[in-house]
Amino acid sequence: MLKLITLATALTGIAAASAITVPAAASTADTPAALEVAFEGIESPTGQIMLSVFDNEAAHDADGKPVRVAAVAVEGDRAVVRFEGLAPGSYAIKTFHDVDGNGEMATNPFGMPLEPFAFSNNAKPEGGPARWQAAHFTVTAGANAVSITIQ
Amino acid sequence: MLDRRQFVSRGLMTCAAVALPAPVLAAPAKPDWTLGLGDVLEDIPLQSVTRLHGKPPGIAGTLYRNGPARFRRGASAAGHWFDGDGLVRAWRIAGGEARLAGRFVDTPKRRLEERLGRIVQPGFGTPAAAGAEVAGPDDTNAANTNVIVAGDRLLALWEAGSATALDPETLATRGPVTFRPDLAQMPFLAHPRVEPSGRIWNIGSGGKAAFIWKLSADGTFEAGQMVPLPMASYMHDFTATERHLVILCQPWVVASSRLPFSQSMAWQPELGSRVLVIDKDDLTKRREYELPPLFFFHLGDAWEEADGTIRFDGCFHKDPTFALLGAPGLVEGRYEHSERPELTMVTLRPDGRADLAAAGITAEFPRSAPELAGLPRRQTVHVGGYRPDRPFARTVGIWDWERGANDSFNFGAQQLVEEFVPVGGYLIGTTLNLAAKATELHMLDSRRIADGPVASWRSAVALPLSFHGNWLAA
Repeated sequence: MLKLITLATALTGIAAASAITVPAAASTADTPAALEVAFEGIESPTGQIMLSVFDNEAAHDADGKPVRVAAVAVEGDRAVVRFEGLAPGSYAIKTFHDVDGNGEMATNPFGMPLEPFAFSNNAKPEGGPARWQAAHFTVTAGANAVSITIQ
Repeated sequence: MLDRRQFVSRGLMTCAAVALPAPVLAAPAKPDWTLGLGDVLEDIPLQSVTRLHGKPPGIAGTLYRNGPARFRRGASAAGHWFDGDGLVRAWRIAGGEARLAGRFVDTPKRRLEERLGRIVQPGFGTPAAAGAEVAGPDDTNAANTNVIVAGDRLLALWEAGSATALDPETLATRGPVTFRPDLAQMPFLAHPRVEPSGRIWNIGSGGKAAFIWKLSADGTFEAGQMVPLPMASYMHDFTATERHLVILCQPWVVASSRLPFSQSMAWQPELGSRVLVIDKDDLTKRREYELPPLFFFHLGDAWEEADGTIRFDGCFHKDPTFALLGAPGLVEGRYEHSERPELTMVTLRPDGRADLAAAGITAEFPRSAPELAGLPRRQTVHVGGYRPDRPFARTVGIWDWERGANDSFNFGAQQLVEEFVPVGGYLIGTTLNLAAKATELHMLDSRRIADGPVASWRSAVALPLSFHGNWLAA
């Protein structure tokens, strides 16, 4: 009985943000980190995976500004995106599979999201986007890798 | 656009970890009527039922019924009568004999809670608990309110999410129905209005707008669109004449983000009630009528007279106390807020006035002959005899609006009476016999209801009370 408008809004926000040019290496950390995010369980080999990366709880839970955004074309059942120059710390990711490639989360007439979405740690939605508490993970200096199952 | 789901979702973001209230300690002996809210642990395999008396008329077919039948898991319990898992029952009648089968609708909610051994998903009156997984409305869909036949499938209906398709023979779940790809996860009320032609109209309600569903007789999507409503009313039912949809908006409206859903609504009688009448052929042609404040779940079929007057009846409560407080208490064995639904005729007049006329009896689950849906009628099939000393109906009856008289049969204090449906010249329905601890099937002659059933059968199981169902002739 839940309306996931907040979720749809959050995920559509990814699309808007991804249109902005993101600096390749925005980090000021002395020892930058790299993060490889693999998306698995993709059912339709079309469109793109769109994602937002957050580095703090406030921005994540209040649909605030992500630290990075990306879109990666989907050609099979797996897609990978790589971020360089991140500051070591805690991060969380919101993502959706833009199956029709129009850059927006498809919704039904009541605003319910209709394209697959997921969160880091594969945190479960509970009537809205997963919370930072459940979705955040640690990135350390050097190479890091996480995977997210698109559902 | 705001609706209950949005409020619930917002609430959930802060309340997802709220635990269920601790179970009542050292509970006294439960009253006998709590058998009507027991737990069925397994599907009911097809089995013969025993004929108690009478020579059944030559009617062959299946009475499909649906209702919540699993309320508790471990120490956890649903917080409302409306939130148990839907168990679809098939009473198959042929050659004077009857058989019964029952099968739970295999919903995501049920699967998750079976796996966890706990009730976790939020509902009408049940808060979410730790472990809830809600990616869309259908994750909380209990599929527990009604079952209709549409083409080669049964549709188990809830109201805030999709219909769920079932196999009519095995009752096996086929899955949620997406009528069009962009209409997944849509609300679909448990009370579609079916024209004598078979065409199905329904509403998906959410806040100040509703989606109008138009389906063919075999359940194929024909058309649909959003229409604005006079207010953000809770809606469990609507009605229709041959030419118009009739949407009664009550002053129990979306008001906050509190959980669970029933607690997010506010009773605002100062708003009064409104009736929205929409032309089936042009959903932009609409008019509104004003009525005094009332609360309802169920309406009867509507009809139209030559001068444009529209009439329909409903079972009206004075406020939402039963929905808010009465029905949750039932799950815990408490009956503290009695239900007193008054059968009432609504008349919408050509000059724009509207008025109410009470029949003077308590009644619920109004039904009328499906062949007269949307057409003039004088009778309303109902259950009734509600009293403050015990919940649920005791009688089945037919109210005659022309004579102003009720022909009814009282099953007595030991029977909880469920909905009866008209089938030809008979009424067919079920009761839960508290003395025998068994669910019974009855047929009554519509011309002589007071004489009692012309034939009755008793099953070997006591099934929790069902809400609604429909007859499919063989």
